[in-house]
Order: sequence, then structure tokens, then C-alpha cells
Amino acid sequence: MERDNHQEGEAQGVKISDPPSVNNPPGDNLATSLSLLGNHMFPDVAERNDGASISKEETPVSLCSDVTAEQQSLDAELHSNQVTKLETEETENSECFNDVCTQQSDGGSEGAATDNDQSDSGEFVVTMLAKAKLEEQGIGVKGRSSPLLEAGTQESPAFMSHRDEDVTAESWRQHRKHVFVLSEAGKPIYSRYGSEEALSSTMGVMMALVSFVQSGDNIIRSVYSEEHTVVFLQKGPLVLVCVSSSRQSERQLRGELLYVYYQIISMLTQASISRIFEHKKNYDLRRLLAGSEKILDGLLNLVDSDPSFLLAAVHCLPLASSLRDSLSQILQKAITPNLVFSILIANNQLLTIVQEKTVIEDTRLEPADVHLLLNLIGASSAFQAGEIWTPICLPLFNPDCYFYAYISYLDPPECTVCLLLLSTDKEAFYAVAECKRKIEEAMVAQNSLSLIAKVQSYSVSQVGVSDLRHFMYKPFDVPDNYRQLTQFTSPEMEAPYSSEEEKMRLLDLYRYMHSRIHSTSRPLKLIYHVAERETLLAWVTSKFELYTCFSPLVTKACAITAITKLLRWIKKEEDRLFIRYPPKYSTTPNPSKSSRGGKSDQQDATDNGFLSLL
Amino acid sequence: MPELSKMKKPDVKVVLLGDMNVGKTSLLHRYTERKFKDTISTVGGAFFLKQWGPYNISIWDTAGREQFHGLGSMYCRGAAAIILTYDVTNWQSLSELEERFLSLTDTANHDCIYALVGNKVDLTDPKAHQSQDSDVASEDRTDSEDMRTEPQLPTPPTSPASLSGVMLQKQVTPEDAAALYGRILRYKGLDETSSQPAEKMCFETSAKTGYNVDSLFEALFDLVLPSILRQRNENQESPTVDLEECRGSSNKRAKSSCC
Ligand SMILES: Nc1nc2c(ncn2[C@@H]2O[C@H](COP(=O)(O)OP(=O)(O)OP(=O)(O)O)[C@@H](O)[C@H]2O)c(=O)[nH]1
Ligand SMILES: [Mg+2]
Repeated sequence: MERDNHQEGEAQGVKISDPPSVNNPPGDNLATSLSLLGNHMFPDVAERNDGASISKEETPVSLCSDVTAEQQSLDAELHSNQVTKLETEETENSECFNDVCTQQSDGGSEGAATDNDQSDSGEFVVTMLAKAKLEEQGIGVKGRSSPLLEAGTQESPAFMSHRDEDVTAESWRQHRKHVFVLSEAGKPIYSRYGSEEALSSTMGVMMALVSFVQSGDNIIRSVYSEEHTVVFLQKGPLVLVCVSSSRQSERQLRGELLYVYYQIISMLTQASISRIFEHKKNYDLRRLLAGSEKILDGLLNLVDSDPSFLLAAVHCLPLASSLRDSLSQILQKAITPNLVFSILIANNQLLTIVQEKTVIEDTRLEPADVHLLLNLIGASSAFQAGEIWTPICLPLFNPDCYFYAYISYLDPPECTVCLLLLSTDKEAFYAVAECKRKIEEAMVAQNSLSLIAKVQSYSVSQVGVSDLRHFMYKPFDVPDNYRQLTQFTSPEMEAPYSSEEEKMRLLDLYRYMHSRIHSTSRPLKLIYHVAERETLLAWVTSKFELYTCFSPLVTKACAITAITKLLRWIKKEEDRLFIRYPPKYSTTPNPSKSSRGGKSDQQDATDNGFLSLL
Repeated sequence: MPELSKMKKPDVKVVLLGDMNVGKTSLLHRYTERKFKDTISTVGGAFFLKQWGPYNISIWDTAGREQFHGLGSMYCRGAAAIILTYDVTNWQSLSELEERFLSLTDTANHDCIYALVGNKVDLTDPKAHQSQDSDVASEDRTDSEDMRTEPQLPTPPTSPASLSGVMLQKQVTPEDAAALYGRILRYKGLDETSSQPAEKMCFETSAKTGYNVDSLFEALFDLVLPSILRQRNENQESPTVDLEECRGSSNKRAKSSCC
């Protein structure tokens, strides 16, 4: 831990405030019930030293100074000495007891937390999650309890499915980030590690917690302990919970839960999920998600390892603009009615996107939708021969409608270059497959595949700044007059960030810088952070957001000069680094066919027959 | 549009249906790629084109997951043959065929033929341990898993038997399958005497060892030929469909079976 090591640039970091004022209402039944619940379901919870068992974190930042996002009025005053707090927000009856603190709807008043007797409820949730024992025993214990834990950071190539993990094992508890999805009725839907069945009682407790807080018209948002942050997110009939020791901000974790939610939506649509649960409150959604666990697993691994998710921007492969243009033109020419997006991907990075005019006129494709698409393709179609035709929803574009995705690799058997065509017409498979054949043919004529094969990401050394090790640059609107996909550019991670551990460590540093920059209570424009093994500088302006990583010996003056150089280099290279002028085509004879917004003319969820399953 | 770019128009459509995990994708892999490899649960449907002598046969490998249930009837539209697949070690997978999948076949051709395929017999029958195909090595599982998804065990063993060699209890007998076949004919309003007999249309296979896999596909392809010929005749009257003439492909598997 090296938090004392850092100094601020012009701006100041968030200060650790004094212990909050003590405001101690009389015994409140929320906390009491929580502990009762705990004692009931986890009699052996007792006092468990939560900290002791957790493998050492490599994250260089201390969370003591974390800011709980979103609730400004409260945030600044809380934390510090407080080991555990359970924060809820909203509505009239503000209950404050022990370490449970809620916020009043009328804003101003202090929802203060207290320090005394802080061990139970909030801590308990964490403890119980860490301890999840008893009823579970014997259920999920097929696998071995391997000591091959991912020591806090990277996913070591485990050779067993996480589904088979022994949820009673210490190694299960030590996962850096758990994610659970459950229904409002408390039915387990997904768990990142261990099978949902084995964890059903744990999920039950979580749900009991959520609904108990709800019954007082409050919403449970997060629980903190020394080692863990527990974040709750309720979306419609689904409750998502993240238990993390990653030291990320609550806001970042909630953002990640949102990605999980959206990925579920991308498979089922929001409309069908709400309809299903309207009809049957205790529906077991796993029936519909069975087989999709890998897609969610893959998403969570990406979220941990790919900064695209943190930056909410798309990373495209650097490409000579002439080549990118010629690829775009090929896509632009191969069209059929109701085709709305044509996307070319190499090694899971974007080469180009061409989109339909009318559909996109009023909007642009959201980076998150692209991330979800890429993940879905990666996790479900990789290395498959054949041409895939499957419904998919782009939740940010329209959470209630399906597109039909045609997915095919252009270079079998290597399967690195993937073509993705999205249509609004369920029946369009053969017409869309015909577009692929045109594209294939044009690419053969122009020798595109072998040109693509030579393309690779770039090295930071090309920038020509000796102390610069890595950076992430996200311009706002490239170029200014095109409302288009938000992108960022970043070189390969090279030594000393070649090992998985080191990569993750750098990403954690970036995540920390990001959380400071985007802190709701105290957003910063510039942070100069001297860590033990490197120096980081993050800078946000109206034009861009930039994260840079330097060798530790760089001086502040050097870093500033380096950044000037870097910005100049990016400017010079931007045609290569970004998809600059996204071409469009027109395929919808009737503009009202746009699938965006309210009434759409395409099939919605009912058409996929979910209701018949109830 | 240049000649080359024309899609080889499929002459006939064959659809694989059945619950998730019964081995539809594995069967098709075994047949087309001659090996048994790791699969990912299918999303939507995957389209393959198979040359069978002078004919192009399109094969739809569909997802068994309930999530994609509503699409089944679309994949089945105009099908000439439907392979209803179950897992011999799992009774539920057979009853799902009747409860969930049979109704999807309503959009198939009226003369569509139905095959009932009990896969994974390698788990229950020692005889299924040899494939009849000489070119099949029986344990060539390749590990070409997707790199982006988390690394996995070579699929959590469907049953301990696949590892230990202990035979599993067979939950579905050929008689059960034949009885279901009879019910399918009745559901379709077909006359048992004029339809293919159950003995001919019920198969037990192993995608893992290759047992009976070629026989299944080849028997089906031979049976759908009349359907191909009929379609070709119909198409001759319709100028919109452009047929690609058979390009003298020398498919070694075409054999004499193609008239
Ligand atoms: N022992 C044995 N296992 C098999 C056989 N066929 C498939 N499997 C295994 O069964 C699992 C599922 O196979 P798939 O081919 O993916 O099943 P599917 O029917 O395509 O499943 P969906 O795509 O989800 O509908 C995999 O783990 C295969 O390895 C077989 O003949 N014998
Ligand atoms: Mg499959």
C-alpha cells in the first residue's frame, strides 16, 4: 500500500475526513433483523476476522479514502475510521443505527453513521458472503478445492470450470470479485464462481437484506468492510450484487454490474424479462439463461482485463486509413433491405463499422452495445465454422427489441476476421448471407485478408518519449462534426507490464486514477500520482481524457513535456488510430422502419416464445 | 453480379433439433470434420452447406436452449428432414422433444421426414465404442476452445462414465424411441404404412466415437433426394430462383447412392 506516497498535482485529492458525527437513534429493527437473519442462517458466523484470510492485495491504493459515489451530501463526511457501513438512500424515514445509515430524501440532513458496535450487520453480510457455509455443504462440492487461487489478481488458467467450485473453500472466498444475479423473489440466476444452486442460501440472504431495506422504502446501495465492498444494483425484477476486494470505487463496480445486466438484456430483452416476472414472480430465469453462463463469465473477465469497459469507449485496431476506407466501402456496397449495421472485427478489435443512415440518424451506437456484441461473439461463436444467425438485443439502442445477427468468419480455419451483419428482419438470413458472399469476393479481389493479417497494435516506443510506458487517450467526439462511436487508443502493454499480474496492477492504477477523476463529490481535472514503481498522470479536458504511465523517476516537468509530445503524436496519427469518418448506407426503403424507440415493427420478445414457457 | 459470388443455392434443408447438451453440434462436427471436439453451447442457429453429389444440402444446427425456442419454427421452415436428437442417458431429453420441439416442426415441408436420434450411446453400449468408419480415431478430442472465455476443463464430464469407462444406465431404449416415432407420425397426421418405418428412422449414435453417425446422415440424405428432385422441378417454373448447375464435384462420399 502506498497511498501516502502520492502527491497531488494542481488539484487535491479527496480528503479523508474526520470520523462522522455520532448520531445514535435507539435500537432499530433493521440492524436487529439483520443480525437475527445472520444468526439464523449462519450460526457459525461468530466473529470472523475477515481481514486475516484474504490474500494480500496488490492494489496500490488504499480504499480508506474511497468515495461512495453518487451521494454527495453524505459522502464526504463518512468513511475514515468507520470500518463498516451500510448505506442506503432515500425516503422519509431515515433510520440511523449503528453502522447502518440511510439518507433522507429531503437531502440536507445528516445521515450520519456511528462507530460503535460496528461489527454486526454490515460486516455480517460481508462475513456471511465470505463464509457461506452450512446449508451449502455437500451441494457444490464436486470439484476439488484447489489452492490455485488467483492471488487477488489474475485469472490463472484454471482447468476446472468455475461452476464446479467448492463454495465452502477458502479459495472461493478469496476471489477478487464475486458477482451474483438473483431475482426479486430471491431465486439465484447467476454466480460468477460456484454453482448457483450451491449458493442459493447465500443469495436468499442477500435478497432478504434487499427486501428488508426496501420494506422501509429504502434502497440498499452498498456495504463496506475493511476488505470488501459489496455493491447492490436493482434493475427491474433483477438484483445484481458484487462483492469485491478489488479496491475499485463503488461507482465503477456499479458500472460493471450494469454491464452484466445489459448482457442479460442483450440475450433476453428487457421487455421479456419484465413480462416473465410479471406473470410468475418466482420464475427460474436460469431456464432461459442456461448455457449463457460462459457469456457472462467472459464478460466479467473482460471487464477486469480490458480498459474499454472502464472508459466506456471502443478500441479499434490501428489501420492505414486507405485500408480502413477500402474495407468500409466493401461493406457499404454489400447491402440488403433492413440491414442496419455491418461490422468487421479482427482479433476481437474493430476494423470498421458501417451503419444504416435512417436508423442511426438520431443517435449513435453506444460503446457498451459494441462491447456486449464483441463479448457475445467471442464467447459463443469463436472458431466455429458455419454461419450463425441469432437474435440479439442492443440494450442501449433499444432494450426491448431484437436485431438478428449474422456472424461468420472470413478466414477459416484461423477464424480471426469476423463479419457481423445486423438486420431487423428475422427472415433475412439468406439475403444477409448473400451480402457476406459479396464482401468475401471483394476482399479476395483486393487482397484485404492478407493486409489485415499484417495489422497489429502499436508500441509506445513509436511515440518517441523515453519515460512514457503506457497511455490511454480518449478523445471526445472524433472528429468534432461527427457524432460517432466513442473510441480510445492505447498501445500494447509492454514490459514491465507484460505479465498478467503486472498488467492487472497497471489497470488497477488506472482504475484508481479514473475513480478520482470521476469522483462525484470531488471531481478532479488533473492528478499527478507518484506510486512506488511508476508515476501516473491523468488529465481530463473538454476535448479528451488521458491517462499516462511513466517510469518512477520522471519529474513533473518532464511528464508535462512528454504529454505535449504525446498529444502531438496522436494528432498526427489520428487517421490511423481511430475510425474517423464512419460511412453509412441506406437500406430501409421506409424510414419508419427504424428500430429505435417506441413502436417498432419487428418482433419483440413474445415472438421468441418465452410466454409459452410459463 | 459476377457468377462466382452467387450463393450455392441449397437444394434441400435438414434441421437438427433437440434439447441443449444432447450433442447436435458434436454430431455435425463428427460428420463434417471427422472429429469430436469441444463445443460451445450454440446460439441461435448455425448454417452449414454440405455438398452431396451434385446437390447442396443446407444443414441448420440449432440451439437447444429455451432462450432460442421461438426461432425454431423459423429454422424449420421448408425443411425436408428434421433430426430430433436426444441423449440416451437422459430421459428428460426425449420427453422435451415431444413437449417442446415437435410443435416447431409445423413449418416444415408436408413431406418432411423425421429421424429420431439417441446420441451418446458410447456411455451405455460397449458396441458403440468402435466407429464403423475407418478414418476415425476414436479419442481425437482437440482443444480448440475459445481463448477469450475462461479456460475450461474439456467440458465438465457429462457423466463420470466418460472418464472412468464405467457404463451408464441407459434411460431411453430403442423401444421408447420407436414409440415416440409412432406418436410423431400421428401428430403429423401421417399414415404409418406409407411413412418410413421406425426401424429405419430411429438411430442410436455416438458423436464421440463416430458410431452410426455417417449412416445417419447418409441415410437421411438419400431419403430427401426425392424432395430435392421435386423442388428442382418446381423451381424450373420459377424464374426468381437461380439454380447453380452441379459443378461436377468429385465428392468421394457421393457414392452410388445419389441417383
Ligand atoms: N460421451 C459423449 N459425449 C458427447 C457426445 N456428443 C456430445 N457429447 C458432449 O455433450 C456436450 C454437449 O454437446 P453439444 O454438441 O455442444 O450439444 P448441443 O446439442 O449442440 O447443445 P446446444 O448447442 O446447447 O443445443 C459436450 O460436452 C459434448 O462433448 C457423445 O456422443 N458421447
Ligand atoms: Mg450446439
